[in-house]
Amino acid sequence: MEVDRADGRTPNQRRPVVCTRGVLHRAHGSASWAQGDTKVIAAVYGPKAGTKKNENPEKACIEVIWKPKTGQSGKPEREYEMVLKKTLQSICLLNVHPNTTTTIVIQVVNDDGALLPCAINAACSALVDAGIPLKHLAVAICCCMVESGHVILDPSKLEEQNMKAFVYLVFPNSIISVLPDGSKRPGGEAMEHGIITSVTHGVMAVDDYFSCVKLGRAAAAELSDFVRNSLKLKAGNDPSKVG
Amino acid sequence: MVESAKGMNDLSSEMEVDAFRRLFPLRFHERHLLESVRPDARPLGKARDTSLALGAVASADGSALAKIGSTTMLAAIKMEVMTPAKETPDEGCIAIEFHMPAICSPIVRPGRPAEAAPVVSKQLSDTIVSSGMLDLKELSLVSGKAAWMAYLDIYCLDADGALFDAALLAAVAAFSHLQIPVVSLNDDGRIVVFSKESEGEKPKNKPVNEEKRKLKLRSIPFGLTCIIHKNYILADPTAEEESIMETLITIVLDSSYQLVSLYKPGGPALAYQPIIQDCIALSRQRVGELQTILNEAICDMEVD
Amino acid sequence: MAAKAGTTPATYSPSPTTNNKKKNRTPLFSDVDWVRPDGRDFHQCRPAFLRTGAVNAASGSAYAEFGNTKVIVSIFGPRESKKAMMYSDIGRLNCNVSYTTFATPVRSQVSDNKDISSQLHKSLEGAIMLNTFPKTTVDVFALVLESGGCDLPVIISCASLALADAGIMMYDLVAAVSVSCIGKNLVIDPISEEENHQDGNLMTTCLPSRNEVTQLTITGEWSTPKIHEAMELCLDACSKLGKIMRSCLKESASTSQE
Repeated sequence: MEVDRADGRTPNQRRPVVCTRGVLHRAHGSASWAQGDTKVIAAVYGPKAGTKKNENPEKACIEVIWKPKTGQSGKPEREYEMVLKKTLQSICLLNVHPNTTTTIVIQVVNDDGALLPCAINAACSALVDAGIPLKHLAVAICCCMVESGHVILDPSKLEEQNMKAFVYLVFPNSIISVLPDGSKRPGGEAMEHGIITSVTHGVMAVDDYFSCVKLGRAAAAELSDFVRNSLKLKAGNDPSKVG
Repeated sequence: MVESAKGMNDLSSEMEVDAFRRLFPLRFHERHLLESVRPDARPLGKARDTSLALGAVASADGSALAKIGSTTMLAAIKMEVMTPAKETPDEGCIAIEFHMPAICSPIVRPGRPAEAAPVVSKQLSDTIVSSGMLDLKELSLVSGKAAWMAYLDIYCLDADGALFDAALLAAVAAFSHLQIPVVSLNDDGRIVVFSKESEGEKPKNKPVNEEKRKLKLRSIPFGLTCIIHKNYILADPTAEEESIMETLITIVLDSSYQLVSLYKPGGPALAYQPIIQDCIALSRQRVGELQTILNEAICDMEVD
Repeated sequence: MAAKAGTTPATYSPSPTTNNKKKNRTPLFSDVDWVRPDGRDFHQCRPAFLRTGAVNAASGSAYAEFGNTKVIVSIFGPRESKKAMMYSDIGRLNCNVSYTTFATPVRSQVSDNKDISSQLHKSLEGAIMLNTFPKTTVDVFALVLESGGCDLPVIISCASLALADAGIMMYDLVAAVSVSCIGKNLVIDPISEEENHQDGNLMTTCLPSRNEVTQLTITGEWSTPKIHEAMELCLDACSKLGKIMRSCLKESASTSQE
């Protein structure tokens, strides 16, 4: 069962997360998010008047600009932008500010694995910091399949490269509702069991995917509590840490 | 097909249906979903008619034209020679590019490339590389000195939804049609095409590979895109459906039904486990269909 | 030799270049009597395959195949002009031609074809009733799938067919044919190999039933009698091509009615 990890973590152990809000002064909202050595800064500008061409003017438009650590942005960055845009669109209340554009700029500070989940978490906190109306938060996590068939969480860059397959998953955080059973679907499944975004790399069995989803969901629940706590703290420069 | 669906209403109401479709697209589609049918008369889980023709481009080393409904993709492979990287002296390389020229859709304008193109491009190369379909060692010519670089360019000629599925089908078909040319090493250490004419002139340059050969393809990946809308799953959506119901999920399975990619970029609907399982079941079925279509296309090619 | 064909620094194409052939073949082309590579007579055009409605997403489209030259043209519009455009009483025509990377024998990534695009614009402009769609723009986009010689004339003929398919009002269809002058011979509808060795080229685009020329391009070395002869050849071929285009439109109209 045991999988040896280079940094001595257990398979289900995430790296320490640091989330700081309001790190930039000119942006309407900003946040930095670090998971181990992976660090991303997200800045939110808007809502500004008008939408881009080919966008629905009856809804708010979300624009994502991904800035890589070095060099120019290419195809991978375009893909990240698209995944982020669609993910954030699904958590924002787009009908509140029709015909406006909200721009989210993602600056990669350091990439040590699980970059996209880290950026999604950062963008989410930045949206909260900017006061953009959201339905709920999104919590992102990366699960890895090792050759032996075990699943490990939140891999570092090195682990990611040596993996058989890995999955980026984004879940909604659990809603604390005043209504009884407010978060339950008619089908009986809790909302936080639904997947907002799933991106996979590498070949795996279908069952392996579902075991990743199960583990990812448990980890996302923990992370979701952390996010809730850290957002409860007053916006400002008080960083919060968990192990 | 669309006409036949409309034909059910009498002529006097034809305009009204069209107007309704434009003004309340979501209600128009939901009305159809209630009857478990789609505006083009398909059942929810059925993909559109798919056709495949190999060898569509004469000037390329391998090519294929794939059509899913009216979504049309033309893929062509051109082989060029490169010096392999130091870390992998025995491996060739593939470069995959997906193009959306201005002819394919009213949204694309020249000089302003479509947002979707680089994303599909990246998805395609990720899928093809990670599926392990190709053995890059087969693209080696002279260890450490020369190897093949396979440039695969896929052009979308007509965009009507499920672009990734059609592009992937065209791509794998082009690889299965690919014939590696016979080449020889000339005196300058360059690789040149081994032609019958030069055979008489320079008999000393033996061809590097004996005859035209095909690549061995293992576990070919096939994709199916579905729309998740409420509790409905719509397989192989058209562009109109994609623009109205925005939650898309693309599942790629290989011939042994291993999961190569499960791609769901956001969207307003959440994917719960039973829905994902239903989508995977639809994909399994589709893999079988596409495998047959590919085999038939290869057979047709060999008969000619 | 072959190595020079490589366009990117990292890779090169192993196929022999045209330079290679030039040395061997030029004497052949300069003879009075030689056989064309595809066995046609000097004054014989390649068989034309035309089909409308190739792209469903477009308002109108056409596919043309002349030997190895394969072209798709899509028409979009009439639709809203770009915001920056001034008010205009008459419609605008916007043309763009692009090539696939595998259109030419050696893979190329050149996508800028301003020259061909503007020539396409000039030859179509005169045939379209621009006053029928004021304030709006009609986009004519062409993609050359394979280039096998005579690209521009094929694009122009195909584009006019696509315009007709889109229901854009025109005075007449536009048919285009080019003639190459190789040594003492005039060769109609040349393939790329012949184009590479030509001394001069004459392209005519005309409205066959009105017997009007919308564009005439002459490049290279020509004598006046040769120009006359080439012009006659072109006009004759244009009127024949016009008939083929007409019958293609009739065919698609009759099938859609059924």
